[in-house]
Amino acid sequence: MKKYLFIYKSEIMSSLQYIENNLLNFLGYFMHIFIFFNLWDYIYSNPEELINGYSKCQMIWYIVITEVIWVVVGGRKLCRLISDDVKSGNISYNMNKPYSYVGYRLFSHLGEGTIKFFIFIVLGGMVGYLFLGEIPNLNIIQLVIVVISLILAITIQTLCSILIGLLSFIIEDSNPLHWVYGKAVLILGTIFPIEFFPTAVQKIAKLSPIYVVSYGPAKLFVDFEIKTALNILVAQIIYLFVVYKLCMLMYNKGVKRINVNGG
Amino acid sequence: MKVIEVKNLSKSFKVKIKEKGFKGSLKSIIHPKYKIIKAVNNISFDVEEGEMIAFIGPNGAGKSTTIKMLTGILYRNEGEIKVLNLDPSKDRKKLAYKIGTVFGQKEQLWMHLTPMDNFKFFAAIYDIPEKEAEKRIEELSNLFEMESFINTPVRNLSLGQRIRSEIVASLIHNPKILFLDEPTIGLDPVVKENIRKLIKKMNKEYNTTIFLTSHDVLDIEKLCKRVIIVNNGRIVMDDTMNNLKYHYLNKKIVEVKSKEKIDFNDEDGITILKEKETNLKLEIDTRKKNLSDVLKLIDPENIIDINISNTPLEQIISEIYKDNKVEKLKK
Repeated sequence: MKKYLFIYKSEIMSSLQYIENNLLNFLGYFMHIFIFFNLWDYIYSNPEELINGYSKCQMIWYIVITEVIWVVVGGRKLCRLISDDVKSGNISYNMNKPYSYVGYRLFSHLGEGTIKFFIFIVLGGMVGYLFLGEIPNLNIIQLVIVVISLILAITIQTLCSILIGLLSFIIEDSNPLHWVYGKAVLILGTIFPIEFFPTAVQKIAKLSPIYVVSYGPAKLFVDFEIKTALNILVAQIIYLFVVYKLCMLMYNKGVKRINVNGG
Repeated sequence: MKVIEVKNLSKSFKVKIKEKGFKGSLKSIIHPKYKIIKAVNNISFDVEEGEMIAFIGPNGAGKSTTIKMLTGILYRNEGEIKVLNLDPSKDRKKLAYKIGTVFGQKEQLWMHLTPMDNFKFFAAIYDIPEKEAEKRIEELSNLFEMESFINTPVRNLSLGQRIRSEIVASLIHNPKILFLDEPTIGLDPVVKENIRKLIKKMNKEYNTTIFLTSHDVLDIEKLCKRVIIVNNGRIVMDDTMNNLKYHYLNKKIVEVKSKEKIDFNDEDGITILKEKETNLKLEIDTRKKNLSDVLKLIDPENIIDINISNTPLEQIISEIYKDNKVEKLKK
């Protein structure tokens, strides 16, 4: 584990070299929040009105949180990186190092996301407060649980991107698959909470990774209930375990099929 | 002590083949066709501890595939491999602690970090305690003369400095064998020479076995005492560098500048490579004609300048690559 923490630390050190990129990315994030703030401001006739159980304030804070996860993980880049590693055979150069490729990519990506996470959560919180003038009422324990859930969501989402990237061992190019997965998460859990969809879709979404990588922590932040928190945390731990195991299975099966020609 | 033992090693790749044009593309979706390419074909060799061995061959000869099987990156189809008494494909992680690899065309360093941070990173990866790592980094940075740039981010280093850093990163865990796959590619002659010196020094100081592939003949000539030449997946020569030079070196190049034109046209064993007025460039086949006999044919009074040289090693190797006729060259 120590070596993975070192990978994590090295990636933080490395990403500190281009911290200004994160600040520029924040402009894009700010635009998203600004658009949705105006959209929901227009839809809600009065701030106390509830749409599918969400007040205007909850709705905006929901997007503030889910967009942070979305931007911090940025899974498309990671999936492309792994897919390219598999296609070009570069993945093999990690094989003769005494670490697991999945662990290396996970901790390296989390390290890269850590600086982004702090920037976006602080600036995102400030933007949310600026627009709404209030923040959801959470005590310190509830806040700690939300943060744990957020970290788990980012970790699982990263693992999902790694898993899809590793599918390149079978389907040659898994980027289109990640595009579909990314759009499903974006629509069904990031810009709209699950409750906004028909019952049948809700059932599917609650069983899918969307429940744990996007909806879960944001729902806890805007409407904390201990029962929901337990459900979400248990689901996250199960997902974490299952997706990690699938990644390892895919990697171990895949490396046996590697063809690296030349240089 | 043998550190590498390879017996009857073979590796094949399944490659998709496609007929030309759009029709061919569609056909390959419905009825994909494959062909088997034998990249490595029944090769056997051993390497002793502390040896510096060149493993060379033309592009596509199977040398990189062999290195990748030796380091556990690729799985073999047939044969046996023992590297430090371990099977690379089964004990890949265990072996990783004992070997180092530098692939000249692949970066393993973190570009935004300094060599020092990179070395600390690799020390952590190889579970080296902090104090021991610091001592080792100091030792290696002195050996590789890195003091002036050890704290500069890798992205700002010159190629030569980066390659030096790459080699040091591969040596942090004190590997018994270092696999160098074209370590001097893209470097200028001065930096190349410097890298060679450092590799030699390292082999002397730590008795590290060096397994080198390179297209640069000088790398091979200056570093290695033994050469294995592979072509079409097979070993075509496994001999010492001295034998390669002296047994296969049966041609001499004689360049003469004379006052009057000299005629060598009917002499057996002499090939005129270039003739321009009174300037001649000859290739002497020493199996057919002694060099002294050739010199006797030239009137010393007629000579303005004369230069006798060996066939460049590069030419000998490319002849071996081209013809695969090692035995013929030997004779």
